[in-house]
Amino acid sequence: MGLVRRDAPPPEETAAPPTTGTLMRQLDDADPDCRREAALGLGGVAEAVPALLRRIAVETEPLVRDAVLTTLAAHDTAKVADGLGGHLASDDAGLRTAAAEALATMPVSVPAIIPGLLTDPDHDVRVMTAMVLADLPHPESQAWLAQMIAEDAHPNVVTAAIDALLPSLGPEHHDLLRAAVQRFPDDPFLRFTVEAALR
Amino acid sequence: MTDKRPKVLVVDDAATVRLYHRTLLDNAGFEVAEAANGLEAVEAALSTAFDLFVIDVNMPKMDGYACVETLRSETVGTPAPVLMISTEDRPGDADRAYAAGANLYLVKPVDAERLARVARMLTAGIAA
Repeated sequence: MGLVRRDAPPPEETAAPPTTGTLMRQLDDADPDCRREAALGLGGVAEAVPALLRRIAVETEPLVRDAVLTTLAAHDTAKVADGLGGHLASDDAGLRTAAAEALATMPVSVPAIIPGLLTDPDHDVRVMTAMVLADLPHPESQAWLAQMIAEDAHPNVVTAAIDALLPSLGPEHHDLLRAAVQRFPDDPFLRFTVEAALR
Repeated sequence: MTDKRPKVLVVDDAATVRLYHRTLLDNAGFEVAEAANGLEAVEAALSTAFDLFVIDVNMPKMDGYACVETLRSETVGTPAPVLMISTEDRPGDADRAYAAGANLYLVKPVDAERLARVARMLTAGIAA
């Protein structure tokens, strides 16, 4: 049988991409997949930053949270750094650790908030700050961690800073570590951490 | 000869903390494995029957509370006791840990003697 010519199928109707306003409204949709798609679709849209910051404060779905933080972190602006920095004190462990991970990818705007975080009265926030500095690609990161080791009043902050500095520890840090042990002679974990680092 | 030592999984993103707890628990007679975050812990629990989990709170990818909830879920369903150890000592942290399914919540640092004592009691089925 010869080839039968069929009529070409009609072109599929393509929906117009959602507007920024639609995506911002979808951030509050009941469907997590819809919220996630909206967050990713708002990449690079500066006017969406306030809505994304509002969403991250209440979002509980990890996949949506990651999408919102990915979009926010890509902006790397002072407004985003301030907004996410506030979540380092969150009672939600998932939010504060996700915020720390996002802040560590923002080398342009995060350095401006580090001095404030280093003097935050909540030592748990300062521990989270050490987590940020561990991965923040910035020339001052090591100096800030050294400052925490030398000056912070809480041993858990000092040990967090030592752990963060561990990959780049050199002989120039040995006196700093020994001084930390002398400041907290009764803390067994800090002593262990320093001894392990000096080996 | 088979190793009859109780198996402990130490879950913490900080390498020094894992080494510290590994050293203390190894000296106390436990067989110790490590995971760097909650996801790794859940994967390990699916393939190995641990006798005890020692879990941090603040970790990337999956935090400690979510990790404990998953370990207690139908998916994993491990009955092994969970000891959570964290820097967090805010009011409500311990309640959150117990609500997730932890057996005991301690604030860092935990000295060698106390960790060994608590680990032995938990693996023996005695409330610490």
